[in-house]
Amino acid sequence: MKYVIVGVGVAGIEAAKEVRKRDADGDILMISADAQIHSRCMLHKFIAGERDEKGLDFTELDFFEKYRIHWKSGVRVKGVCPEEKEIILDDGGRVGYDKLLLANGADSFIPPVGDLRKASNVYGLRNLSDAQAIVKEAEDAKEVLVIGSGLVGLDAAYGLLERGKKLTIVEMVDQILPVQLDAHGAAAYQELFEKAGVRFVLGRRASEAVCEADGKIHKVKLDNGEELACDLLIVAAGVRPAIGCLEGSGVACERGITVDSHMRTTCQDIYAAGDITGRSGIWPNAADQGRIAGRNMCGVEAEYTDIYAMKNTINFFGLVTLCVGRIRPEEGDDIRIKEDRTQYKRVILKDGKVEGVLLQGDIAHAGTWQYLIKNQIDVSGIGKDIFDVSYADFYFTGEKGEYVWA
Amino acid sequence: MKRIIVEYDKCDGCKNCSAACMQAHRETDGTIYDLDLTDPKNESRNYILKDAEGRYKPLFCRHCDEPECVKSCMSGALTKDSESGHVFYDETRCGSCFMCVMNCPFGVLKPDIVSKSKVIKCDFCVNAGGEPSCVAACPKKAIHVEEV
Repeated sequence: MKYVIVGVGVAGIEAAKEVRKRDADGDILMISADAQIHSRCMLHKFIAGERDEKGLDFTELDFFEKYRIHWKSGVRVKGVCPEEKEIILDDGGRVGYDKLLLANGADSFIPPVGDLRKASNVYGLRNLSDAQAIVKEAEDAKEVLVIGSGLVGLDAAYGLLERGKKLTIVEMVDQILPVQLDAHGAAAYQELFEKAGVRFVLGRRASEAVCEADGKIHKVKLDNGEELACDLLIVAAGVRPAIGCLEGSGVACERGITVDSHMRTTCQDIYAAGDITGRSGIWPNAADQGRIAGRNMCGVEAEYTDIYAMKNTINFFGLVTLCVGRIRPEEGDDIRIKEDRTQYKRVILKDGKVEGVLLQGDIAHAGTWQYLIKNQIDVSGIGKDIFDVSYADFYFTGEKGEYVWA
Repeated sequence: MKRIIVEYDKCDGCKNCSAACMQAHRETDGTIYDLDLTDPKNESRNYILKDAEGRYKPLFCRHCDEPECVKSCMSGALTKDSESGHVFYDETRCGSCFMCVMNCPFGVLKPDIVSKSKVIKCDFCVNAGGEPSCVAACPKKAIHVEEV
């Protein structure tokens, strides 16, 4: 059996491990544009100079040898031919498969504003190659403009602050981290970044950006007419599943590749997992999808059921935050807040159930919140302050001493 | 694998297990008699919680068969050891993202108080021969090690 896995992100790696676990003799080939295995969640540490390339590797020592996997790196998939059971690579090669997993992730989205897509000093931050290019470009750059204040935008800013750059961050809406936090929680991070020297321009969008003779953008005009000077631009405006290579292949796509709960695509023997499915942007879910795909590729029935992905953790300057579920309050919500100088906590309750939680400063033992939210557990009968509810209130041990949510 | 089995109805909340854990993981030399209980660096990896009726519910890492913390670790710091079955944490690899804290369904994990850069996680006292200090310290025999 020949398994071909495209992508060495967490979905691809977990799938490969699962396949090897279940098929000791199968031939596993991984193909990636990435030249090195790396955790995308740690790219800011690379930009900051806290870690080198090796330090971003999340796999076990000698991963490919240990799992007997062939790896072809530095190549992209250009096309998929389900009928011939082949993929076409951008180096001209063709590779046959019995089972194929598409886990080639997503690409940074650069909005079609001015010359953003053309200029040579504009970068997304998605791959190690982006981070390497940013570090190189930053050598001669003094002023950096970051468009977007989500986690990726702040990651980039955090890393470049460590390199002593002057940073401005432009955000469309009137708070930073708008997907993850409420205004109060966001203000705490804004203050920390401002203390470190970052200037935020909120509620504004870039409207003009013209390439100059050197092929670079040196100023960006905002929708209020203000001009911001820059030598390096980082665009953190989200990602799009990397489905370009599937055009005309017959593999059905919507936003990403369409998959069923077994991570099967609409084509026989082709599976997909991770960001390319457009289903979940976060690490644990991509990993799960990879494992499920790997099992099904070996003929072991498995379904992706733990799909809850409205969850995030944030950690900048030692201020940690956890947010799960709904962030924006709605009419009829019962909102509980606990705040002192070390923490800010907010729970959104509706009809006795927790619909959203935001914990900042203190996230100790917070894992139970995700369970309460995604399983819509009624907490109204527990005679405790909501912030004191813990696993003690649901305590149950199984036959092997394991904890169980009864 | 070996697991610390908890019989919560035997627990009287004395927290000897927590003190023993703090002692086992302190950075400085010394005995339990000079352990600084007020130093935030000395954190316990086990916790005695109380339910709404005031009953003690000991919260100890289960070293789960399918550990959610390992599944959510983006740095490779958390691994399930194939020999012992225990879940180990390599501080040097940790990226301090705390997705493990978010994903532990039982709320066992937490960031360290002092630096907020490490995870406080039971290591089954592997450096002390794999005999958990908490178990040895429990006067009520509410926790014991069993092969499961």
